[in-house]
Amino acid sequence: MILESTIRLPFSYAAGTVGSRFLIALREDQKILGARCTSCSTVTAPPRPFCSSCSRTVTELVEVGPDGTLEAWTNQPGNGVFGLILLDGADTPIVHRILGTINPGTVNAEAINMTPGARVTAMFAKDRTGRITDIEGFIVEQDDP
Amino acid sequence: MVPPDERSRALVSVLGTAETKVTFEDPRSIPEMVLAVVEAALEDAALGWHDIDAVVTASVDLFDGLTASSIAVTEVVGAVMKPETRIAADGLAAAVHAVHQIMAGAYRRILVVAHGKASMAPYWDLTAWAMDPIFLQPLGVNFLTFAGLQAAMLARHDPHAVSRWATTAALRRSAATGGIAGPISVDRVMASPVVASPLRAGMCAPVGDGACAVILGDPNIGDRNLGEEDVRIAGIGHDVGPHHLMIGELTDWAGLRRASQRAYTLAGVTKPTFAIVEPSCLFPHEEELFVEAVGIGTTAPHSPGGGLFAGTAPVISGLSRLLRVVRALKGRTGERGLAHGTWGPAGQGQVVVVAETP
Repeated sequence: MILESTIRLPFSYAAGTVGSRFLIALREDQKILGARCTSCSTVTAPPRPFCSSCSRTVTELVEVGPDGTLEAWTNQPGNGVFGLILLDGADTPIVHRILGTINPGTVNAEAINMTPGARVTAMFAKDRTGRITDIEGFIVEQDDP
Repeated sequence: MVPPDERSRALVSVLGTAETKVTFEDPRSIPEMVLAVVEAALEDAALGWHDIDAVVTASVDLFDGLTASSIAVTEVVGAVMKPETRIAADGLAAAVHAVHQIMAGAYRRILVVAHGKASMAPYWDLTAWAMDPIFLQPLGVNFLTFAGLQAAMLARHDPHAVSRWATTAALRRSAATGGIAGPISVDRVMASPVVASPLRAGMCAPVGDGACAVILGDPNIGDRNLGEEDVRIAGIGHDVGPHHLMIGELTDWAGLRRASQRAYTLAGVTKPTFAIVEPSCLFPHEEELFVEAVGIGTTAPHSPGGGLFAGTAPVISGLSRLLRVVRALKGRTGERGLAHGTWGPAGQGQVVVVAETP
């Protein structure tokens, strides 16, 4: 006998000081912040309160992106296309949704030509709530629009 | 063969092993599955409940759908009024913790148990809840997304990678006699649906339900069950990498390299050659990362029974690899084997055990 059940549990996550500044910058200014280590200069994006290279405490935030380089992407049918993006000015990649191409002015997810190394740019949501999804996703720039 | 000057470095002895047959859906409850393997392992070791000093269990509440997996297993592993350590990682990491406890002199004999039932919920969807809640969960990514990104990184400059991985998957499934998914041709692998490009469904090890138990003991206590033919654990290594993807960590299992080096140092392994090697790889590209990291060479055989492509269950994979290494080595003289476990997205956690016979 199998009993069916559903787990529903509202939860509150503290984004932390650095995470909150990152999310507020997305919401208020449509800017992406990374954490710059004053010891080894590594810029970690999205920012965390410690350096991803040397584990020192990090408090200095710098603007990165919104353009970057697509290092790799994967298509999960039914779930979406996800990319590993190295934002300009950052040393660590961000994982986010890949929306497609703009040609011209409209998103065309079917016409994705996503060669690794392609240039991408962040597309911000119109209604932003202070979440990572305030970046709706990344658009692949085309050389020949 | 283990060189004579490298022998007799045993950390602990393996006294008994047992596992359920992995199936896509085991109708038994978690306690029933766990009890079955515990009783079988005790019988294999010719020991009783009273002979066990402590228990280390591996389980993940998220996968069990329980607020605490202790609800399901504490009684059936005989841990009531005994010390139970429970870890949320691969079962081989539980074995490593048991080795630590025996080496510290805290206990003589420890029961190690792992269980997982992927049939309880869509497994890959469930792994989305094991991701960072601020930066990753809202995107809908899961462990399969990360595996796809890892495979994509590896295939960037390797046009033959995908066809090679299809061949590997077909080879493993063919070797998996009695496997839960059956043999598959390379063409069928390539024709199977994309699950996280470039990975296709036929390239993924089938994940179902299973439980596994191993009993470890202090080799220096003159246990009546210890004989010359017993398999000993001679080396252990354990390493955890960052949760957030780093480009370098994706294309190189550096954590596994560090873990295997620690195990080799403890075991006195100067050249990593083994009678049997059992990696925990759910995807063919992971096998290539594994071979490179543990340094066995690309032509060294491994996964004689098809590895995880024969079928596996969450959490049990590494402990079941140890079981297979132990059973392959038992009765042989001066041989060495390697078991591997991993957990988390894209191989975040890595654990290695080197076993040998005197």
